[in-house]
Amino acid sequence: MIETPAGMATAPVVGPLPTVIPPQATQSELASGLEVVLVPRQVAPIVSAALMIRSGAGIDLPEKAGLASLTAEMLDEGAGARDALGIAEELERLGADLWLGSGRDGSQLSLQAPRETFSEALDIAADVLIRPRLHAADWERVLSDRRTACVQRRDQPEAVVSVVSDRVLFGDDHPYGRPADGLERTLERLTLDDVRAFHAAHWRPNHAYLVVAGDFDESALRTRLDTVLADWRPAPVPAAPPPPPWPKRPRLVIVDRPGAPQSVVRLVAPGTDRLSIDRSGLAMLNAILGGSFTSRLNFNLREKNGFTYGASSSFAFLHHPGSFAARSAVFAESTAPAVREMLAEIAGLRERPVTADELAKARATLLMRVAEGLATTGGIAATFGEIGLYDLPLDEPLRFAAALERATAEDLLALATRYIDPDAASIVIVGDRAAIEPGLRELGLPAAVVYDADGDKIPIL
Amino acid sequence: MLKIQFDTFTLANGLTVILHPDRSSPLVAVDLWYHVGSKDESPGRTGFAHLFEHLMFMGSRNAPYPAFDAIMESWGGHNNGTTSNDRTNYYEIGPRNLLETFLWLEADRLATLPDVITEEELEKQRKVVLNERRQSYENRPYGRAELAISEAMYLPDHPYHWPTIGSQADVEAATVADVRAFFDRFYRPSNASLVVAGDFDLAEGRALVERYFGWQRRREPPARAARPIEPRLPADIEMTLTDRVQLPRLRLAWHAPALFAPDDADLDLAAHVLGGGKSSRLYRALVFERRIAQDVFAYQGSQILSSLFQAGATAKPGHDLDEIGAAMDAELSRFAAEGPTEAEMERARNTHLADFYKGLDYLQTRADLLNHYQHLLGDPDGVGRDLARYSQATRESVRAAFARALAGNRLALRTVPEPVAA
Repeated sequence: MIETPAGMATAPVVGPLPTVIPPQATQSELASGLEVVLVPRQVAPIVSAALMIRSGAGIDLPEKAGLASLTAEMLDEGAGARDALGIAEELERLGADLWLGSGRDGSQLSLQAPRETFSEALDIAADVLIRPRLHAADWERVLSDRRTACVQRRDQPEAVVSVVSDRVLFGDDHPYGRPADGLERTLERLTLDDVRAFHAAHWRPNHAYLVVAGDFDESALRTRLDTVLADWRPAPVPAAPPPPPWPKRPRLVIVDRPGAPQSVVRLVAPGTDRLSIDRSGLAMLNAILGGSFTSRLNFNLREKNGFTYGASSSFAFLHHPGSFAARSAVFAESTAPAVREMLAEIAGLRERPVTADELAKARATLLMRVAEGLATTGGIAATFGEIGLYDLPLDEPLRFAAALERATAEDLLALATRYIDPDAASIVIVGDRAAIEPGLRELGLPAAVVYDADGDKIPIL
Repeated sequence: MLKIQFDTFTLANGLTVILHPDRSSPLVAVDLWYHVGSKDESPGRTGFAHLFEHLMFMGSRNAPYPAFDAIMESWGGHNNGTTSNDRTNYYEIGPRNLLETFLWLEADRLATLPDVITEEELEKQRKVVLNERRQSYENRPYGRAELAISEAMYLPDHPYHWPTIGSQADVEAATVADVRAFFDRFYRPSNASLVVAGDFDLAEGRALVERYFGWQRRREPPARAARPIEPRLPADIEMTLTDRVQLPRLRLAWHAPALFAPDDADLDLAAHVLGGGKSSRLYRALVFERRIAQDVFAYQGSQILSSLFQAGATAKPGHDLDEIGAAMDAELSRFAAEGPTEAEMERARNTHLADFYKGLDYLQTRADLLNHYQHLLGDPDGVGRDLARYSQATRESVRAAFARALAGNRLALRTVPEPVAA
């Protein structure tokens, strides 16, 4: 036995948590209606920009899933004076990263470059944004690659469980029910004219929000933005129709993967939207249930039972109410006990009151996540980009911190009772059906409904 | 010139300490490297360095399980560990009020872990690791190829022959006695380097490190196995694996000079010109123009004893790996003969530098980089030397380095879809 000195015997006293002080952000508006937020940071010699468009895959028609994200992807396949490879070459020469894509609620152009070349890279970003070529030859290639990617997605159990869970939870007619990337069959219905129309309708300055964070000269950058974005014109943007209500859901869904050594398990149930006043409380509940290593789910499934490498949970707070999900990937032979424990932990949020320690931990965890998000240039751009996308006030990080302070264990119990119902969750599993179904039946679950990897129910023959 | 500011000193017990204050946010990062990886294991006892990394979270004398995670998470801190062929690292990130706690936890487990480890804890982490193996390799498309590469490229007695995750049989066979012996041999202050980064001042950081690590006794650094001879494939190898994938993938691998050896940075630049993004040669030829591949890749996998240069592509539906292989060979031979253009060199250099800057933006990456240089060069001040390798590379040095690597024998590993059951 090694002797340790007395000073080692007890844990050091921990002082109070530091205050999170968000960086100084200044907001202005260009003549076109584009809102611009600048956040200086001089730690590394880089600049990050995030241009958010307030339309994403969440407005794709279900039969045309993939349109918003393909539109974003097509923009840098030739723009202004350069073809697709010309753009890629020039960006690399500048050491710049340009990324385009769409999530549920927004589309995004991100640009990151060294301080010295950011201004030049803005020229290319402006071409991509305002003057994409959208040529047929490029479209054919990009669409073909996307189709192949959707075929390959069937190989990835984690991706498959997401596709199927969204379909099960949101149903056939809700845009959140389809993957943002689309499906092989929805891609077949898309045309280049659809892309042109989506770009013309939604990629408008009055429907956008620009954040620039990093090491720049503020007045020079403002002048530059005025110049490069001068030709970007506003136009009325069509409103999206409201989504359909939650559908009736099957209790147990299996995507058969014969011989799979692990079962990828997801429990999904309705959550709430980004602007809900319950968001901070639900985020705390989630931190306790499955939002960190010592959370109830991970501690039970990984540390106590050794079923898995990890278990977690999350809420997707979206423009329309999103999902609540608990997830894990477990030994095939541990599938039924893992599902039992996951259901028990979810039920436990109503039955086992949140302790004072858990409450403090949830607060600190979420507060420090905010602090870490604000501690990199890219993180600052992402934090303020989300603020712009959901039209939140600039001091949202501080408001969130204050809401965390206010929440009590009783508040969280009330939220658990309102939002978290283990009996309402659908259980979606990608795994070896023959091996796992008998054990699941023993848990008292109904017969499984079998889906394919694209989220379609397989008819019983 | 670009530099990460730091202060360094060595404790009497041999622990190297590197302090990097950065007061731009109220966070601290503690990053502790042990100079031991899966290369220090023996055949038949593989996966041990990584399994051990898991056991490091199972409690120490004064912080019994699960205090390590519970204490730091109660204040919003978080942590992890990673194991590679060459080294094991542990890091904690959190608010500045946790700095002393982080150091106490790391110091306590370094001092007392073998006293408290039990068979039950080992058994639990064994299961977690076997699940990690399934999640990361066995149930992941093309994961089987990842596991097969090192076994094919290195002879059974070379320390890179086995994968870091280990074989299932070896992980199952590990005993508590093995754990204690491994700890005793490699987990010594003289075999570690500690970076403290973030919101503290130098005097405070030094005092805390001395308080928690200074009392630990000195032991000599572990004896190291002699550096193995430079590996060589006696002939080209063709291998085919089946996997649960829709599309076949070809992966080519050559032996290449070790991290920081001559040619290493040149091969990194060559990899960028060949497979680093849309403007790269393989992307242009196989994906963009001929449209026979869904994706391409090329990279110099730099490691301390020796590296692997790898390139590959996934066939689009309707195309096969013979076609892919021929197209890749044409591009690779042309590059070995002609080398990069000046414009390609400029793009590769600038992209490398920009990626480097990006890493510097994150406190933990800076901490890890200081440890990386300490581990590799015996000096945390490695940024200048590292970047100089890239700025000094020329068209001819990149061409020649690539031609030398390509002249060696190679592995061609094909992953093809499993036959579908009728």
